[in-house]
Amino acid sequence: MDSVTLKVARTGLTRASYELKYRKGMTVLDALIEVRERQDSTLGYRHSCRMGICGSCGMTIQGVPRLACQTQVSSLNSDTITVEPLHNMTVIRDLVVDIGPFFRLHRSVKPYLIRNDIQERDHSEREYRVLAEEVRRFLQFDYCIMCGLCYAACPTAALDPMYTGPQAITQAYRYMADPRDEGWEQRVDLLDTTHGVWRCHMAGACSFVCPKDVDPAKAIQMARMEILKKRILRKKGKPGSRPVAPSAPGQGKPGTKAPPFDFAEGRTKET
Amino acid sequence: MKEERRYKSGLIPSLNPFGFNIERWSYTVHRATGVILVGYLTAHIFETFQLGAGSAAWANTMAALRSLGPLEMVGLWIVAGSALYHGANGIRLILNEVFGKLMGKPILPVYPYSPTSLGRNQRVAVWTITAVVLLLWAWAGLYLLAGLGVI
Repeated sequence: MDSVTLKVARTGLTRASYELKYRKGMTVLDALIEVRERQDSTLGYRHSCRMGICGSCGMTIQGVPRLACQTQVSSLNSDTITVEPLHNMTVIRDLVVDIGPFFRLHRSVKPYLIRNDIQERDHSEREYRVLAEEVRRFLQFDYCIMCGLCYAACPTAALDPMYTGPQAITQAYRYMADPRDEGWEQRVDLLDTTHGVWRCHMAGACSFVCPKDVDPAKAIQMARMEILKKRILRKKGKPGSRPVAPSAPGQGKPGTKAPPFDFAEGRTKET
Repeated sequence: MKEERRYKSGLIPSLNPFGFNIERWSYTVHRATGVILVGYLTAHIFETFQLGAGSAAWANTMAALRSLGPLEMVGLWIVAGSALYHGANGIRLILNEVFGKLMGKPILPVYPYSPTSLGRNQRVAVWTITAVVLLLWAWAGLYLLAGLGVI
């Protein structure tokens, strides 16, 4: 492949076409940067870190939501690449979409630790200790970079603008599964609705496009099961529940550390 | 979010599975077969309702159906395929959504990523359902179409 043609969906235009020389290792973001620097300075797109961490450069590439910085041109097996804004979001200009509503959905599920004792929460002198095995229940869902690819890929979000969305439900479940959290009742009222977890039809597109393997489809089904257990079968407790209080005096001192967590193995290291 | 302002949202984009995973294709087929079944059930209720309208009305309905010729059986064959796929895939979805089966457990992501919810178990289930449904659909085709000279 000597050259590559970018066909970009631009505001007010059908498709703008740009031809540029292919370089080995070129990503779609590299191509867009080159177009803006050398061919068309009016091309609008959003990016920041260029290394798949910030989640800014989400766009629809060859019909599938991807991060432009992580998409190698060679991996697309075509010398013509179509680039569009993320689906299910409002276009501000060219490839830039309004992520405000998406972030509002995220905020709506209270993605933070909720504690009943406000005095203890605001004036805590010690950390909350969590077992490594308990961390495993939610750590995968903690890697979300809020790029919006899952929301753009979701067929339910395409049909229902009121749908909470895979990203927000995943973040809600991440805290629901956290033994330190006491906000289950507050969040479950937001999820146990016709626009919440029950709206998902398990197309799995969210997990397919996720650049961080957060696996929202799995989190949604796990949230469903928890709601079924607690609300319909009336079982008490939450995933791996045990009361977690700030560590007692002495627990945080040197020599009383919890066993180290092996991230490669996903469990506590044996000592 | 206002629906009319969102880029490529709505029914048609939601049914487009190109470039996506096999489960997304399964979602589209599940929707399409569901619509076919709703259409068939509506027509079937209308058809049986004619029984109450008297023997003349029933005879007219039957005559109208017979006038379709081989298309009647082809239609029934499509309905049979829809019922088979919708039922079998529905069982997989109940396993996924109600019992959390085939989804895997939370893991620590290791590159190259491979989500467990779309992992081997899920793929085996989807392809097994597809193969079994195709076999049964072919058998239904032999049963329904063979005597009509369609095949």
